[in-house]
Amino acid sequence: MGILRLAHVDVRTPDLDLSAAYYTEVMGLRQVLRTEDAVYLKCWDEEDHHSLRLRYEARTGLDSFTFRVEAEDDLHELEKRVEAYGCPTTRVSAGEAVGQGESVRFEVPSGQVMELVWDLEKTGNALGKHNPAPVPPPHTLKGIAPPRMDHMLVNAEEVGEANTFFTEVLGMRLTEQLLDGNGHQLGIWLAGRTNSPHDIAIVNGPNGALHHWAYWLDDWDHIRKAADTLAYNGVQIDQGPTRHGVTRGNTIYFFDPLGIRNEVFTGGYWVDPDTEIITWTEQEFGKGLFYYENVISQRFLRMHT
Amino acid sequence: MTDRILRLQHVEVRVPDLELCTAYYTEVLGLIETARTENQVFLKCWDEREHHSVILREAPTYGLDHMSFKVGDAADLDYFTEKLQAVSVPVKRYAARELGPGWGEAIRFDAPSGHVVELTHGTERVGNMLPMTNPPPRPQYLVGIAPPRLDHVFVMAEDVEAFTTFFIDVLEFRLTEQILANDGHQLATFLERSHTPHDIAVITGPNGGLHHFAFWLDDWNGIRDAADTLAYHGVEIDVAPTRHGVTRGYTTYFFDPVGNRNELFTGGYWVDPDFEPITWTEEEMGRAIFYYDRQVNERFFTVHS
Repeated sequence: MGILRLAHVDVRTPDLDLSAAYYTEVMGLRQVLRTEDAVYLKCWDEEDHHSLRLRYEARTGLDSFTFRVEAEDDLHELEKRVEAYGCPTTRVSAGEAVGQGESVRFEVPSGQVMELVWDLEKTGNALGKHNPAPVPPPHTLKGIAPPRMDHMLVNAEEVGEANTFFTEVLGMRLTEQLLDGNGHQLGIWLAGRTNSPHDIAIVNGPNGALHHWAYWLDDWDHIRKAADTLAYNGVQIDQGPTRHGVTRGNTIYFFDPLGIRNEVFTGGYWVDPDTEIITWTEQEFGKGLFYYENVISQRFLRMHT
Repeated sequence: MTDRILRLQHVEVRVPDLELCTAYYTEVLGLIETARTENQVFLKCWDEREHHSVILREAPTYGLDHMSFKVGDAADLDYFTEKLQAVSVPVKRYAARELGPGWGEAIRFDAPSGHVVELTHGTERVGNMLPMTNPPPRPQYLVGIAPPRLDHVFVMAEDVEAFTTFFIDVLEFRLTEQILANDGHQLATFLERSHTPHDIAVITGPNGGLHHFAFWLDDWNGIRDAADTLAYHGVEIDVAPTRHGVTRGYTTYFFDPVGNRNELFTGGYWVDPDFEPITWTEEEMGRAIFYYDRQVNERFFTVHS
């Protein structure tokens, strides 16, 4: 029962062609559908219809983010709990959104639109289910070609309130937290049912903002190769390749052509539901963010979508 | 709102030479000794927070004494006791610490293959080797291979289908992959609770047999380093670093000093609860097991403990 994993992120872009070119040629996602005003994309190992929707709009921004729930009945249960907390919810019927059935949408306390869904259209990965090769045919892979989306990070003015909502209402699990000198939460890392350090993270910043979403890569060597691909294509790298203290993950941050931050990520550790929370103090946050550099990058903290 | 079975908690293996095996598991594999009884040594990996994941027990023969899975809640032990008794499987119950130092509350029963299966809750928490505030990503001065955690167990059964049905229907595991003989019966199956390709797998062979148990490493580079360590110490390598078709994992197999097979494993993929299982056919079994070699050495099928 509860939140399983991140399913898709929906963003706005003022240049649909440029964004689509970057996400297919550099990131190496597959375009699965193009409509008049939107492009739907997925990674090669994802079985769902899509994990990213780019929608044309004059200004860049986050439309919504969608998590899959663990079982069909969870949708109703979580809808009741979100309503009881005081966030109005909207049911979106099957057929209204591409690639999925019925869903529930609401604004989280920090203003982003979150969606919960069970019924995702399963279109299969690039390998199939019958004597599958471990990787897709090499000529079908372009750019970085991550196997799947991993997690996202959004901003909130009141991180403590976000923590209450995501843990007590949605039942996600706090794995790590950053505390200021007064014991207030400045950042939280939350897991659904993925047994990983985070499926979503929330860090102090303006309400409604998207900080980044991340794609999984299998190891550090792929992170290094991704950096080569980014540099070759003239993509602006924000930080890395390096390592996080928080999550222990290996990472690169970079910007898509319209300034939305992306990450490639690997590593982390196994999280049991009863694992104790790891705490980072403000004076060690440089290491928490970027363990090797030990600096708090103002660009990293202040730039968002 | 419980997770039922979470993951593999521990394996207890029989060893005719306790001192020799303890030296191997601590110095070469790099596990940490946490307790001893008259005839047992308790070991854990560095990133595991609980008291033990491998128990060595002095005995005249080698092989698997039992395997234990962690459940999310103590009430899950009652839930599974009722389910097991409903299908006429006798269940024994043990209080916390009754079975040994650090041991949780547990139930035990026999799988159709004669393997003793334990479900447990409340294994003593001793912490990993890192602080809970501002932790570095890994401890310094680890010895040997030092995998962060135990990953899965692979056993043998005369009737793979009966074993698989029992694990799915009674214990609520999910099938991720299967190898089918030309007549359609299951030669091997791979089962999970942790959203990974396998927490347990079974292949046709003598009832009660242990094929191997596996430890997680973070990446392929870690597997290569481990092979260096194994070769340096003169450990008998069964299968040098390679890749599986099934699970897509990277692997190396080797034997402990008394002949129990160990594996180091990384890779794999994400598994949703409604994942459609992958099927391998008998003709492709070579690739299923060792994707690069496309054939399986006879020892892999015939040698077990």
